[in-house]
Amino acid sequence: MSVGAIVLATMVEGKELLQTVVAATLAGIGVTFVFSVAIWGYGRSIELGNEERPLAAGMAMAVGALALLLVLAAIVAGIVVMTHK
Amino acid sequence: MSSDIILVIVIGTALAFDFTNGFHDTANVVATSISTRAARPQVAIAFASLLNFVGAFISISVAATVAKDVVNADVITPTIVFAGLIGAIAWNLTTWYFGLPSSSSHALIGGVVGSAIAAAGFQAVIAEGLVGKVLIPALLAPLLAFLVAGASIGIAYRVVGRQAPGVVTRGYKFGQVISGGMLALAHGTNDAQKTMGVITLALIANGNLGPEANPPTWVIFAAATAIALGTYSGGWRIIKTTGTRIIKMDAAQGFTAQGSGAAVILASTHFGFPLSTTHVINAGVMGAGAAKRLSAVRWGVAGNIVFAWILTLPAAAAIGALTYGVTQLFGSGALGPVVVTVVALALIVAAFVRRAQRGAPVPVTESGGG
Repeated sequence: MSVGAIVLATMVEGKELLQTVVAATLAGIGVTFVFSVAIWGYGRSIELGNEERPLAAGMAMAVGALALLLVLAAIVAGIVVMTHK
Repeated sequence: MSSDIILVIVIGTALAFDFTNGFHDTANVVATSISTRAARPQVAIAFASLLNFVGAFISISVAATVAKDVVNADVITPTIVFAGLIGAIAWNLTTWYFGLPSSSSHALIGGVVGSAIAAAGFQAVIAEGLVGKVLIPALLAPLLAFLVAGASIGIAYRVVGRQAPGVVTRGYKFGQVISGGMLALAHGTNDAQKTMGVITLALIANGNLGPEANPPTWVIFAAATAIALGTYSGGWRIIKTTGTRIIKMDAAQGFTAQGSGAAVILASTHFGFPLSTTHVINAGVMGAGAAKRLSAVRWGVAGNIVFAWILTLPAAAAIGALTYGVTQLFGSGALGPVVVTVVALALIVAAFVRRAQRGAPVPVTESGGG
C-alpha cells in the first residue's frame, strides 16, 4: 500500500464508507423493487379480476398490499433518519 | 456598532444564500415529476415549498454548522463567513444562469474554505475533513446514484414489464409525488439548518447569544421561510435541464431516479456520510436513461453538469477568497462588507436584467417547464 493510500485510508473511515455504499445500494434498489411489486400486484389483480379468477386476483392484491406496507415502512424509516441525524 | 452592522449583513447574506439554495435545488425535488407530468408544475413547486418549510422545523440541532469539519473553527470570523456566503451565492447564480444543477452545499463549503485561506492561509483548512467529508462523497455520490438507478430501472422494467401501461404509469407517477415529498422534507431539514447554523454562530460571535445557545425561534422561522420562498420561486432553467435535457424520461425512470435517489440519500445520511442531493438525483437520471439505452442520455449535457460539479468547490473558493480580499481593502470594520454587498446587489440586478433582455425565463408548461 502506498503512502498516499495509507493516508487516504486514515482520513476516510473505510468501514463507514462501505456501510454507506452497501446500505444506500440496498435501500435504493430495494425501494424501487418493492414499489414495483406493489404496482405489479395492483395491476395483476385487475387483470385476474377481469378474467374472473377472484382467488388469484385476491392473492395478487395481497402481494401488492404487502409491498405497499413495506414502502410505507421505508417512508417512516426515512422520516426517523431525518429527525435523528 | 461596526460589529452590529456586520452581523446584520451576515444574517441578510445567509438568508439570501438560503433563498438561492431553495430555488437552485427545486429541480432535485420536482424536475422528474414535472417532466413525466406526475404533477402540475405549480402544484409540485408549492408542495415542495411547503415541505421544505416543514422540514426546517423537524430537526434543529445545529450539527450541520457550516464547514464544521473542513475549516479550523478558531480562524472563523463573521467577515470570513460573509465572504464565503458571497462565494456560494455567486456560484449558485452562475450555474443557475447557465441552467446547470450544482451542489449548494459544496458551493458554501468552497466559499468558506476560500475566504478562510485568504484570511489565515492554508493551515485554516482541515485536510482530512475536506477529503473525507467533501471530496470522497463528491466522487462517490454520482457513481453510486448512477449505478443504483441503472440497476433499479432494470428491475422495475422486469417486474412490471407485462402490466398494462396505464396502471404502471399511474403507479410510478404516484410514487414520484411521494418520493418528491420525501426529498423536499429532507432538503428542508438539511439545508435550512446550514443557514440557521451560520446565523446562530454570528449571533454567538457578536455576543447576542451564549456559546451553547440553540437557534432562536425567529432564526428557525426566517431560515425556513427563505428556503421555502426560494423553492417556490422555482429555478426553471435547472428544472428544464434535470427534467428534460439529460434524458427524455418515462414515469418509471422518473420514479427510479427520484425514489431510489431519496433512499440512497437517507441511507447514507443514517451512516454519517451525507451525499449531495443534486449529485444523486442528476446522476440517477443519467443512470436511469443509460440503463435503458446509452444513447438515450445526452452526454454533452451530462458532461457540462459534471464539469460544473468539478468546478464548484474551486470556483466558489476563488470567489470567497477574492471577496475576503476586497473587504480587507477597506479595513477590518463594516465598510468592506457594506461595499461588497452593494456591488453584489448591483451585479445580481444587472444579471437578471441581462437575462430578461435575452429572453423571458424558460416558459412553464406541463411538459417540464420548457
